Amino acid sequence: MASIELNSVSRIYGSGASAVHAVKGIDLKIEDGEFMIFLGPSGCGKSTTLRMIAGLEPVSGGDLLIDGARVNDVDPAERDLAIVFQNYALYPHMTVRANMAFGLKLRGLPRSEIDTRIADVARVLSVEPLLNRRPAQLSGGQRQRVALGRALVREPRAFLLDEPLSNLDAKLRSVMRTELVKLHRKLGTTMVHVTHDQVEAMTMGTRICIMRGGEIVQVGRPQEVYRNPADTFVAGFLATPPMNLFPGRLEARGDSLVLVAEGAEIPVPAATAPGWGGHAGREVIIGLRPEHLAEAPEGPAPAALQLSVETVEALGPETILNLRLGRNGPEIAARLPADGDWEAGQPVTLHADTARLHLFDPATTRSIPRGAAHAL
Amino acid sequence: MRPKLAVLARHLVLAGFSAAIALPLLWVLRVSLTDKLTAYKLPPEIGQIGLHNYAEVLTQYDFGKWFGNSVAVAVAATLVSLPAAAMMAYASARYRTGGWPLLLGVLASQMIPPIVLVLPMFLVFMTLLPVPGLVAITIAHVAVNLPFMAWIMVSFFDADTRSLEEAARSDGASRWQAFRMITVPVAMPGIIAAGLLGFIMSWNEFLYALILGDHGSQTLAVGLASMETHAGVNIAPLAAATLLALAPVLVLLPFLQKYLIKGLSLGALK
Repeated sequence: MASIELNSVSRIYGSGASAVHAVKGIDLKIEDGEFMIFLGPSGCGKSTTLRMIAGLEPVSGGDLLIDGARVNDVDPAERDLAIVFQNYALYPHMTVRANMAFGLKLRGLPRSEIDTRIADVARVLSVEPLLNRRPAQLSGGQRQRVALGRALVREPRAFLLDEPLSNLDAKLRSVMRTELVKLHRKLGTTMVHVTHDQVEAMTMGTRICIMRGGEIVQVGRPQEVYRNPADTFVAGFLATPPMNLFPGRLEARGDSLVLVAEGAEIPVPAATAPGWGGHAGREVIIGLRPEHLAEAPEGPAPAALQLSVETVEALGPETILNLRLGRNGPEIAARLPADGDWEAGQPVTLHADTARLHLFDPATTRSIPRGAAHAL
Repeated sequence: MRPKLAVLARHLVLAGFSAAIALPLLWVLRVSLTDKLTAYKLPPEIGQIGLHNYAEVLTQYDFGKWFGNSVAVAVAATLVSLPAAAMMAYASARYRTGGWPLLLGVLASQMIPPIVLVLPMFLVFMTLLPVPGLVAITIAHVAVNLPFMAWIMVSFFDADTRSLEEAARSDGASRWQAFRMITVPVAMPGIIAAGLLGFIMSWNEFLYALILGDHGSQTLAVGLASMETHAGVNIAPLAAATLLALAPVLVLLPFLQKYLIKGLSLGALK
């Protein structure tokens, strides 16, 4: 059990003019027992951060604390953290049993204790029949389980998972997602999971830490981040299809605010967004999630949009429409129930739930808060 | 019809090359089984076949001693240089110790003709380090083979074992434990291949063994050469001795091939 704290932690490769700042002084506190997800595109510094926590990568600046103790210079062997790698990194010359026993033997645990722990973990992960095999004789999913098992038997202070699911096929990945969540609930041990898969991020973590360009963009519970993205990057990264983002202008007309975009005017009752009043007359980026467009009016303040269908993606349980706003407006996506019957080129009227609209400042890309009345 | 012709043509070319490589050896084999007079006859005759030359080599010459010296030098040189070369290769692969200049320097040192190095080495062993002949030869072989073996092994220690080591490190292993318990066993085929290559190079080496050795420390290469005397070449026993000297290398070659391929395909072991 451990809390992990990063205070202005940075990682710089090289020096002088050619120095690359992979992680730029990030602050984060991972609470004891938390399941924290590092989410971001490749090269955002999420794996480097995980490797710094593990001790496999030196910390260039700032302080890294585990359970309140500074561990910047503590050897990885002394940190008592277990890491599961994307390529599993199973020792190819050892059997599954020996792979699992390796860390325990190094710690000098008695033989009987080692055997008991391996038997327990092997049962939990259903790898008992594989114990005497070598990694080369295992399938991808089995290797993944063994890698996890090797971490579990150690009973470490925290688990560090470096994209462990990304080499699995879609079906197995969703099974392992559930397994990991169950495991976390059962053990209550701190877990830090690095991924670029936003489905993993949304479904597994107690909190998500979204990174970009070596910096933390937003940290929060998955639903919180989904509902209130801090900027256009987060809005455009989470969920598939992501939030529609298009330029517009916020205007005040009497009691009401109106968002004017190419091909549409969207009235927003001022009372639902007191925070936006001050931005009237300015250019904004309008954010509208595909799932907040519907055929029938929904929510307290619906607004009708005239659109034409560009392409239809019938996914089975739902249909994704790619639409053109107005005549020459931006292309936006809508997520609708599967029972509709749409064709490319067909004009449609959809209703946007304006209570769930987001506005972003085009200069900073940061979200413009709706203010107190926003209670959704 | 055409593919068959192409296959035939290819096989003819290959047969030509094979003959070019095998004929001298077959010639030596023939000579070793005949007598001196038949050996020089053209067109070649098989004549009386027997093992008398082998018997002569084993009884009339110091063959046993040469063989023993060769074994001693090659084994000692390999055992000394292999661990050192492995550690050097590891340092270069993992920590970029010395960077590319070191690797280039190592390679460049292999391009220097041995004759350039052997005289200074002779002086060193004459004046500064007066050790017995066999020790001097062994040291010389270590000096020549170690960089070469390290150079071969660098690629075996590259990226693929890195994440295994990192796993071992967070499993609680020290750097040394991770190297010894994970990296070395995983890279073992490559290490064995480098060791076999070093052994064979040492076994076949002639110049250092000739210059640095004394009469008591003649290795096979030097011993065989001494069978060419002012009185003439005793060709038939020499052929027999040559084949006997080749035997250990022929035994090792299949292993070398096996481990070299295994070592080179380490990356496939994910």
